[in-house]
Amino acid sequence: MTLSSAFNIIDTSFSAIAKQSSTIATNIANANTPSYSRQVANLGTTAYDGVTVYSVIREANVALAAQLNSTTADSAAQTAISNGLATLAQTVSDSATSTSTTGSLQNGASPYAQLANFSAAIATFEAQPESDSAAQAAVAAAQSVASSLDAGARTVTQVRTQADQQIAGAVGTVNSLLNQFTSVNSSVMSGLASGSDVGSLQDQRDSLVTQIAQQIGVTTTVNTNGSMSIFTDSGVPLFESAPSQLTFTASGTLGPNQSGNAVSVNGTPITGPSSNMPIQSGAIAGLAQLRDSIAPQYQAQLDQIAGNLMTAFQETDQSTTATGLPTLPGLFTTPGAASTPSSPNWTGLANALVVNPSVDPTQGGNAFLIRDGGVSDASNLNYTYNATGDAGYTGRLQQLVSTLQAPMGFSTNAGLATTDSISAYAASSVSWLQGANERASGNATYQSSLLSSASSALSNATGVNLDTELTNMLTIESSYTASAKLVTTVTSMLNSLVSAI
Amino acid sequence: MTINNVSSAQLSTALLPAVRRAQSQLSTLETESAMGQYADLGLQLGPQSGYELSLRTQDDLLQTLTNANGIVATNLSTAQTALSSIVSSAQTAAQSLTQSSATTGAGAILQSLGQTNLQQLISLANTTAGGSYVFGGQNTQTAALDDYYAQPSSTAKSAVDAAFQSYFGFSAAASQVASITSTQMQGFLSGPFAAQFESPNWGSYWSNASSANTSSQIGADDVIETSTNTNGAGFRQLAQGYAMLSEFGAIGLDSGAQQALTSAASSVINQGVSSITTTQSQLGLAQSKITQANSAMSSQMTLLQSELDRTDNVDPAHIATELTTLSTQLEMAYQLTSQIHNLNLAQYLPS
Repeated sequence: MTLSSAFNIIDTSFSAIAKQSSTIATNIANANTPSYSRQVANLGTTAYDGVTVYSVIREANVALAAQLNSTTADSAAQTAISNGLATLAQTVSDSATSTSTTGSLQNGASPYAQLANFSAAIATFEAQPESDSAAQAAVAAAQSVASSLDAGARTVTQVRTQADQQIAGAVGTVNSLLNQFTSVNSSVMSGLASGSDVGSLQDQRDSLVTQIAQQIGVTTTVNTNGSMSIFTDSGVPLFESAPSQLTFTASGTLGPNQSGNAVSVNGTPITGPSSNMPIQSGAIAGLAQLRDSIAPQYQAQLDQIAGNLMTAFQETDQSTTATGLPTLPGLFTTPGAASTPSSPNWTGLANALVVNPSVDPTQGGNAFLIRDGGVSDASNLNYTYNATGDAGYTGRLQQLVSTLQAPMGFSTNAGLATTDSISAYAASSVSWLQGANERASGNATYQSSLLSSASSALSNATGVNLDTELTNMLTIESSYTASAKLVTTVTSMLNSLVSAI
Repeated sequence: MTINNVSSAQLSTALLPAVRRAQSQLSTLETESAMGQYADLGLQLGPQSGYELSLRTQDDLLQTLTNANGIVATNLSTAQTALSSIVSSAQTAAQSLTQSSATTGAGAILQSLGQTNLQQLISLANTTAGGSYVFGGQNTQTAALDDYYAQPSSTAKSAVDAAFQSYFGFSAAASQVASITSTQMQGFLSGPFAAQFESPNWGSYWSNASSANTSSQIGADDVIETSTNTNGAGFRQLAQGYAMLSEFGAIGLDSGAQQALTSAASSVINQGVSSITTTQSQLGLAQSKITQANSAMSSQMTLLQSELDRTDNVDPAHIATELTTLSTQLEMAYQLTSQIHNLNLAQYLPS
């Protein structure tokens, strides 16, 4: 070995040290960058006993990254459902703020509370059948029932419409992320082909995948040429050498009878009943579930309550001779209704239900018709229950009080009991909604803690530890000092040699 | 290396979620300790919400019924007070009848006794409570009895006069009345005159009440009759007795006919007293049913309230403990965060 070859070796050492320190500097600079993967410079010996940085490796962890993506998607779906249910649960907010003092239900806005108020108003009216104020209170309570059902149904519409618009937004986001992904992915591929450093590009690509996973649950595979393919969690390709196009048409306001459009990937639906490969997670999946099944079910429950109310207050022919007059809608009706629709046609009834104007004093009606009958048609005496016209007549009111407590039939589609009193059914509906809300909120909390542990696992596996980097820096510093010392030593040796000559 | 690696970003933010969770729990606990109830009951109870609501409604409904019973009970006790006055004045009247028959000038006394008592009976029968006539049966909006002494003369009085005229052939003011025998008088009083106080004359000339009494729901499923009406035997008999005295007490009957009149009046008034007493005991039964229903409902409400307290209320001791634990945890988290930030090699390297 010659002294000049020693210089060469020291030179390789300096360049390796420079490369290593630049890697450390990059790591330290990105210590707080989320999704940054730590880089490690790999050292090796050269053919002439020197040292060189063979490669800079990105400390990626594919399994943990996939775990992060799937928890991100699950968490986004649960958050969407939980937010929607929280909005729906506001319609029964009186069950959220407990007030054990009597009479407190008067402040409740839920159909259940209003039904309870209405029952109480009818019972009070029954005790003072001649009281004008009791009669008007009963009418007002009935109107509150109708408007609370309407308010509930309008909240359903609002939640579904918002979900629809959010799906549209999410679809736009995914499409733009897929476009960004396309360019980053091709940069990675060309960088790999030319052998340049693609670490930060790969970080960027992973971060894009996580952002897509927010909206749609995804799985990924990396091909031999370094290109990444993305599939939905149900297996529909989102990116396979070229980006897929997500299509979705927002519906505007989604009324009780309208169902929203499906999200399609290159023409294949990934949400809704028409889909063979429905996505399971991500915000879009959560929003679609909210829009297509959870909110409509609550609407169905409100419609069932409305339909049975309309049925319960119908008036029958009271004439002693059998005139065979039809049964007419009474206190609760829909504008212009000549008869109560049959149970399968109750969709949207909660929105349409009103108190018959014939009992509303502000619309020229007579509140005492509730007591006397003839709400449906005051001019037709065949529908008058109070034949003698006495102010103390309570027969019809007692009948109404017991009807409100009698079991009625409900559709199985609404997912609750099929035979129950209206009030008990409304209570079950509150239970259903608050139960779903509690579960969704629990799931969302659980998924978000899973997400935070997945991201901390990934961060620990691939993130930067400043102390480690500083220690490495110290090592490099020592080796730099040693190399520098070597240079001076060899130089002084050369000088001694030269002066000896 | 990677096995034990902890990223610095992760390390410095590790306690953030814990702090955030503790803070949100702290605010919930503060609300709960202030209100003594769960902060978000719906979220707390979940599927139990409906059950909790139905407890509250049941409680509310019982309260409504109790309040409504209060109104019914007021009506009933008003009716009872009126009936008691009717009974006591009828008893006094019956007593006076036996004493006054021997006295001179008894006719005028009898006449005024009858008139005063009839007026009082009519005014008591038209007693109202909260704007409704308590003796009207279901017809609570019209005075139960018409004023017999109204000017111009009432239909009831005209009918009585007509009956007298048609039975005897002369009016009560005519001088021939002195010739009426005691048998004739008895025949008139038990025949056409008594018919004035039977259906349909009673309903047409005297009473506006409905024979159907009001009924009320006094308990969860307990409907009872809660009034009486002036079509009952008691009112009719007393009116008959008083009207008899008022109309014919001072028209100048001879002593035999006068005796027949007094004894007939005394007899129907006594019958009336016993009929009214029966009615009173019927109303008393309704009153005691209401009292029973109220006390049953009140004990039920106590149960419901304690069940509601159990579902809604938080344990203050538990809240206090949790609050202490949480604040300790928060303090520890803060301290740990600052210590972790100091655990940095850069601080120890020579500059």
